[in-house]
Order: sequence, then C-alpha cells, then structure tokens
Amino acid sequence: MAPAFLKEKAIHGAVGVLTYLILSALLVFILAPMVFMLTASFMPARDIISMPYPWVPKGWYGHNFVKAIAGNDRTYLFFRSFWNSMVVAVAITISTIMIASLTGYSLSKFSFRGRDLVFMIIMATMMIPFEAIMIPLQVVSTQLKLTNTYAGLILPFLVDAFGIFLMRQYFITFPDEFIDAARVDGMTEFSIYRKILLPNSGPAIATLAILTFRNQWDNLMWPLLVVQSERMKTLTLYIMKFTGDINSDEGSQMAVSLLASIPMVLMFFSLSKYFISGSAVFSARKG
Amino acid sequence: MKRFIVITLILLSLVGMTGFAAGKQEAAKGPVKLLFWTHEDKNREVLEGRFIKEFEAANPGITVERVLYPSVKIQEATLAAFAANQGPDFFNMAIEDEYQYIANERVAPVIPEAAGYANMQAIIDAYIPKVLDPVTVKGKVYGLPLELTNWCIYLNKKIFRDAGLDPDKDYPKTWEDMMRVSEKITKRNGEIITRRGFDFRYPYYLVEMVPMVEQLGGKIISDDGKQVIVGDDAWIRFLQFMKEWGPHGKNLGSPTYKASRSVWNFDKDEVAMTSTGLYQQGRMRTDNMAFFNSSDWMVVPMPQFKDAKKVVAQSYYGHYYLVNAQKPRDNQFAAWKLIGYMLGHAEDYLKEVSLPQPTKKLMASDAFKKMPFSQVFADDMARAHVVYYGANSAQLQKLIQAAVEGVMLNNVPPEKALETLKKDAKDLFAN
Amino acid sequence: MPRTVRSTLKKKQDRWGLVFAAPSLFFFAVFSFYPMFSAFFTSFTNKQALSLARPKFIGLENYSYLLQSPDFWNSMRATAVFTLGTFSALVVFSLLLSALVSELRVGKKLFQLAYYSPAVLSSVVAATIWLLIFDPRGLANQAMNAVMNTPGVDHYWFVNPYKEQFSTMLVYFWKHIGYFVIICISGMASVPPSVYEAVRMDGCNRWQSYWHITFPLLRPTVVLVSIMSMILCLRTFSVQYLFTLGGAPERAINVITMNIYFTGIRFFRTGRASAMSIILLIIMVVLTWLQFRVTRSEEVNY
Repeated sequence: MAPAFLKEKAIHGAVGVLTYLILSALLVFILAPMVFMLTASFMPARDIISMPYPWVPKGWYGHNFVKAIAGNDRTYLFFRSFWNSMVVAVAITISTIMIASLTGYSLSKFSFRGRDLVFMIIMATMMIPFEAIMIPLQVVSTQLKLTNTYAGLILPFLVDAFGIFLMRQYFITFPDEFIDAARVDGMTEFSIYRKILLPNSGPAIATLAILTFRNQWDNLMWPLLVVQSERMKTLTLYIMKFTGDINSDEGSQMAVSLLASIPMVLMFFSLSKYFISGSAVFSARKG
Repeated sequence: MKRFIVITLILLSLVGMTGFAAGKQEAAKGPVKLLFWTHEDKNREVLEGRFIKEFEAANPGITVERVLYPSVKIQEATLAAFAANQGPDFFNMAIEDEYQYIANERVAPVIPEAAGYANMQAIIDAYIPKVLDPVTVKGKVYGLPLELTNWCIYLNKKIFRDAGLDPDKDYPKTWEDMMRVSEKITKRNGEIITRRGFDFRYPYYLVEMVPMVEQLGGKIISDDGKQVIVGDDAWIRFLQFMKEWGPHGKNLGSPTYKASRSVWNFDKDEVAMTSTGLYQQGRMRTDNMAFFNSSDWMVVPMPQFKDAKKVVAQSYYGHYYLVNAQKPRDNQFAAWKLIGYMLGHAEDYLKEVSLPQPTKKLMASDAFKKMPFSQVFADDMARAHVVYYGANSAQLQKLIQAAVEGVMLNNVPPEKALETLKKDAKDLFAN
Repeated sequence: MPRTVRSTLKKKQDRWGLVFAAPSLFFFAVFSFYPMFSAFFTSFTNKQALSLARPKFIGLENYSYLLQSPDFWNSMRATAVFTLGTFSALVVFSLLLSALVSELRVGKKLFQLAYYSPAVLSSVVAATIWLLIFDPRGLANQAMNAVMNTPGVDHYWFVNPYKEQFSTMLVYFWKHIGYFVIICISGMASVPPSVYEAVRMDGCNRWQSYWHITFPLLRPTVVLVSIMSMILCLRTFSVQYLFTLGGAPERAINVITMNIYFTGIRFFRTGRASAMSIILLIIMVVLTWLQFRVTRSEEVNY
C-alpha cells in the first residue's frame, strides 16, 4: 500500500490537472470570439463571413485601421473622440472612488438613524431602467445648461449605487478594532477614513476603478442625448459611425473597437497586482 | 482632509451653480445660428457639408452647426430632445416617424418664399403627385423630401448563368417564378445556405411585404378606416408563401442570415437578387467599381403574384426635412432658406450620392434618365403607393413582423398567425 | 467608560456617518430621484412623448391595461427566464472560477485577463461579433458541427425560440463573467492569509478550507455579486435589442426593458412606458430586499 502522503500528492496532481482542464475549456469559449474579432479586423468585409472561417487573414489587410482612424470623411475625429472619452471616464472614475468610498464607509461603520433606509434608497437608484428616466434627465440637463459640455457628460455619473455597494461590502469585512483603536488615539472620523480605510482598500478601489472606467468607456445612451456637437462626441458614438445599419462594414468596426479597447487593457494590467496579490495588503494592515 | 473637502465642495457647487444658470430660449436678434441634425450617410455627408459652406459664405448673418447621428439612433435622440423642448432648428426624419411631429404641431409649415417658391401651391406643383401627402395637413406642407426611394430587384447575371438560367429571359416576373428560380440558384452545405437566390428586406415589412398582400387583394386598413388587416385569403396566401420560403419549407432564406444588400455589391457568389433602391448604385461604386461598370448586373421590377388582383410595386418611403416650430421665426426662415438651397441641387444629389428627389423636373431630366435602370424604378414607382405612415405604423409593422417570423421560423400555421395578427392589430387601434 | 458618556460619544460619531453620506444623497436627489418621481407621476397619465398638450390624469388605467396585456406578460416571462438562467450561471461560475484561478501557480494573471477580455469591448461591437457567429454560416454552427460530427446541420440559433433565449444568455454570460470573477478575486484578496495557514495546520484539504473558511468570509462578496448580477440581468437591454435589429425574432427575447424602450421611444406612449418601468422597479426592489433577508448575517468576524 502506498504511503498516505503519496496518495494525497496524486490526488492533488489530479485536481491540478482537472483545474487547468476546466479553466482552459472556458478559456476557449471566451477567447474564440475575441480571436475572431482580432483576425476579422485584418480582413476586408467581404471575407468575414466564410465557411469555414479562415482564422488567418490572407495578407493582413491594414485598410480597416486607416478607415477606423481617418473616418469616412477624413476628419480624423477619432483622436478627439478618444480624448473626450478619456476625460469623461477618468473624471468619473476619480469622483466615483472618492464619493463611493466615503458613502460606503458611512453605511458600513456607523449606525445613525435611518441608515438602512438610506442604503435601500441608494440601492433603488441602481434599479431604475435608463429608458424610463432619459427624458426627465434630459430636461434636468438642459435646465442646468449641460448640453455639449464635459460637465454634462460627467455630472450625472459622479457616483453610482454600485460603487457605494461595492465599497460598503468591502468595508464590512474591515475589522472594527482598528477603527476603535484609532478613535482612542484621537483621530477624527475623516482621518480614520483617509489614513486607515483608504490606504487599506487597494483591491476594492482597483476593482471599482476598472469597472467604473469600463462602464463609462462603453456608455452610449447618455452621450447620444447630451452631446449635440461633433467635437464633443465620445468614442462609443464614434464607433456607431461604423455600425449604421446600411453601411455596416464589419472589418473597420472590429478595427476601431480594437483600438478603443487599448486603454482598458492597459488599465487592467497596471491595476491587476492589487487583486491578484491582495494578501500583502492585510499583512501591512496588521503591522 | 482639507484638500478632500475642498474637492468635494467644488464638485457639489458645480451642480449647484449650474442650477441657477438655468436659462431661457435665446432671442433671435442679430446673427442666426442654426442647429441641423441629420443621420450619417458617408456620401451625402460630404455633399451637404459643401452646400452648407457655400450657404454660409453667401449669407453672412447665418452660421450652421451640423450634427450627425447614427441612422439607428437619430429617431430617439430627436424624440428625447423634442420631449425636453430642446429640438434642433431643423432635421430630417423618416416617413414612418415624421408624422407624429406634424400631428403634435412640433414642426412648422414650409415658408415658400424662404425655400425659393412663390407660394404653397408652387411647392405642391413642383413635386410629382402624392409624394407630399405624408407631410401635408389641411393644405399646408410641413416638410420637403430629401429623398424618396422605392426598391426594385437588383440581379446578378453571372449567378443566373452559373445556375443554368438566362437572366434576360428567366428573370422572375411573378413570385411563383421567384421561388422556382431561387430553388435553382440556392446552394447549400447540408441545411446551411451558402448561396441565396433572393433575399427579402426583412425588417421593412410595410415597404416590401404589405404590397405583396395588396397584390392578392388584401389591405392593412379598409377604405372606411373601420377594419384593420382586411382580406383573410390574401393574408393567408402571403403567409403561406413566406412559410414555404423559410427553413420549414423549401429553405431558401430567412431573416437570420446576414442581410444581403451590402453583400450583393461584392459579387461573391452569395446572393443573386436583392431588393434595394437607386441609391445602391452609389454604394456599388464605392464597394466594387469593376462590378458596377460591368454588364453583369441589371435591375428588374418587383414581381407580382400570378393571379394578382392588382398590380402593386414596393411602397416608396423617404426622408423629409422638417423645421422646429418652437424656434423664432428668423431661425425658421433661415432654416427653410438653407433647405431650399440644398434641395435646389437635386441633380448633384442624384449624380453624387444617387438620392433621387421626387420633383417633376428631376424625374424628367437627362441626369435621371442617364442613371442605369432609372426607368425601371420610375415605372415601379408609378405602380406603387407611399408606405403606410399612420400614427400606429411602427407598432403595426412589428405585429406583421411577428406573424411572418412565426410562420417562417416557428412553423406556426398561417391561419393561426393571421388570427393573432388580427386580434393584436384590433387592440392596437382600439387603444 | 461610563455608559452615558459612551453613548453620547457614539451619537456624535454616528452624526459623522450622515455627513459622509450627504454628498451621495444630494447627488442622487438631482440625477435619480427627480427623474424617478417624474416617471412615477407620468405613469398615471396618458402622456405622449411629443405632445405639447397637458397630459391627462388617468389613474391606474396604464397599470390595468398592462396587467391584461399578453404582450406585457410575454415580456415578464422573457425577463424572468433570462434572469434566472443568466444570474445563476454568473454567480456559480464567478465563485468557481475565482476559486480555481486563485489556486493556480502558473498563469494566474493570464487567465484573469483572458476571462475579463470580453468586457473591454463596447456592447455594440460585442453584439456584432455574436451576430456574425450565430449567422447560419458562422462559427457557432461550425463549432457545433465539428464537435458533434454533424456536417451541414443548421442548429437554428435564432430560429428556435428556446435556443434564441439561450443565445442571448450565452452572450451575456460571455460579456460579464470576467467582471464578476474580478469582484470575487478582490473579495478573496481581503481574506487574511493567516486564516488559511491556521486551517492548513489543522489538516484541512483545499476544498474543505474553501468551503469552511473562504466561502463564509466571502459572504459580503457573494451578496454583492448576486445582487449586482440579478439587477444587471433584470435590466438587460442591448443584447436583445441589437439581436432583434440583426434579424433575430423578437417575441421570445422581448424583455421588459426592450418593451419599455419600444413603447416609450418608438411608439411615443410615455405614460404606459413609465408604468412598465415602475413595475420593473418594484420587482427589483422586492427581489433585492429578499436577497438581503436571506443573507442577513453579512457581518464577518475573524
């Protein structure tokens, strides 16, 4: 009979192989459409639907990218739209992190009267279908003179319920003893938030940053309504130029969307260290 | 902490301050600034951009800002803006959506002097009969057509020959021909169609399919306006035809395949016939000049059913330029002046972007006659009527769509599909 | 510390809680509650989007019309099916995948990025890609036929109503799974490693340690993921809308948000669309409240 520790090792090995198998099967499902898009962006529109799909483009057709950047009318508005989207998404990401963490702190570590009501009310805002409020929202924005401004694109999204919810859930797990200890040391509530909670919520903030940035980068309906000038259009509206129902040209559509996703890939890589090796955060907190 | 509070306060006061700045409609004294919304169309964009520059140069007091919206989104952007009383000075809108703006008095009648006409009657006389009906209420014209399009059948002769057919003799004259010819042309890999004979314009049921029903004697609405979905036999025969066309019948095509009109230009042996307008020629030139210049394609009229009770071609539809009634009179005047200026170049629209304006002058011009197959379009248009544009048109189109999808894709018996359609249509008009 | 002093101190502290929540509340008042109340009042009127006339108050007429409308109930069904299918898949797989991925020694970052990658695409482009995939000549049929060795079969992805609903779920899962895996992994990152060390010494295997330690500590994250994914699923719109534009039959996937969109924006019936939104809102609030009830004991102690 094999010694127990060897048997356990074998089981561990088998589990490891199985893990990789499951993960890889899912990987194929998730990546196949991505690879399809990547290769299609180098094909002329006429080659994209073929049976069987070639996977390797004949001749790496670069014209799609030229078209994506220059636009049909060669106005090169791509760069301007890219910049607009950047300004809007960065501003909203920063403000969401600030306001959501503050509110999340309030809703998790204080017990003022009506706290749960406040929480439920905030949660309820997440549930309103945008289609229902888009016209009233347009009225508000016009009255506030927000049409065609960065403020108009940013203000309605300064913070969202999801961010507050995420920060609250994260802070709930934060040990109360640290906070009480700080209070005994005479720290104000605000410096507890800024000096203890914020520095120790790397994973949550990184996650919130990525998700908020992504949502704004993909926001279509609101810019469509509040922007009424070519110079203020965001990248999603620019992408729509290539998806009009009549002239849809899949090649340049894939190309422009590939270019548009670069900032999000970069952001993921630069922030991923936070949620991948999050354990370091805790040891620091204890120390 | 201080820095933090300061930032938060600035953000909050931004919200607050802008609240006080809420303003009124600017008065239109002095220079006029026009806001113009239109849908993206890569060829027309360039042409109209040129007209706007010329117009601004000739009218120093007027500046124009044009905003381009994706064609699938312009309807909702315009609607939301008008609902918030913030519509543009002028815009263009498709025939099926435009009527609500007139019915609710959101758009202003044409100012004939501004648009370059002596009076209302002169406008009506300049256009071919009936095309202004959708924008005419109580003798007043509320919009001028940017384009009026009807569809005919574009046919790829090479594919016909490849299937052993003679395009000049065997082109489909009846829907029964269409099915027979398509059966010959269709190639499959198992059940999957790799070459289609003909592809319907699926989402456009009112334009393309209602005329098929009318050929058989059916109607959407009875003449006295009291009954919807008239003529059961006609509707059932039409639905039966679509069922046979679909995957549960002869499997000749279905809405789940990528629409053929952009594919057709590439001449890739994928689809022999597609239903589209004169404007397709402009797109053919951009997509595939060699094919456009060859003699391998032609345009044929819409087929009729063999025992058709009435000759009906595909309905025509289009876009109209409309002017916001809430804007000061100076803006309205300037807007109609610019519209008049742009539309005055009807031949440029036709030559450069293949968009025909339905004026008597253009239809009789050499430029129109020189366009390949323009006579086929003109003849079919004479046999057609304008697409149904009543207040419930968008909903009705969806109900017809559901009926056709039911028989084609879900194997619903035509009788049952018709029953549902009639009931839903009746409810629709009752509410 | 005497009791009274402590409680006044506590009260003072708690006042700060309200102060910290104030900016959010102010913000939501302007950009969420005002439009929401506006929609609420509109739902009792016959408002038409373009009409300049004062909308007429018609009481509960919109609601009673909806409750009798088969079209509305069809949308309720479509939304319920979609939500149940997608929501459960998202929750189960995000927990499973994040647990598996965080156990990996090699390729952790790679897997995470790969799972997240669909999220970097704009929804419009994602729908375009999948429309091409579900075209009868597209990758979906090619892959199915290669795996099942059935050349030339059309699997009717959009033709069969069940498969059509499944297709929308698949796309949604594909687009959002990375999002939730990230949330879960960041939640796991907040579990102190000392906890694991302690259990390992007690002789638990990996599975036991996940089940007994990680999972309970992850409870706030699980609550977050399940509520978030439920709300996202109930609000789904773009996949269904863009698929319908691309030729997929509408009836099976006419989810309630799409019905609201068509009723309000395409058919101009603002009042009726608002009533539908209010019903959707109520459903969501009730379901969220229930989820909080079920997972009451969120507080965690180490």
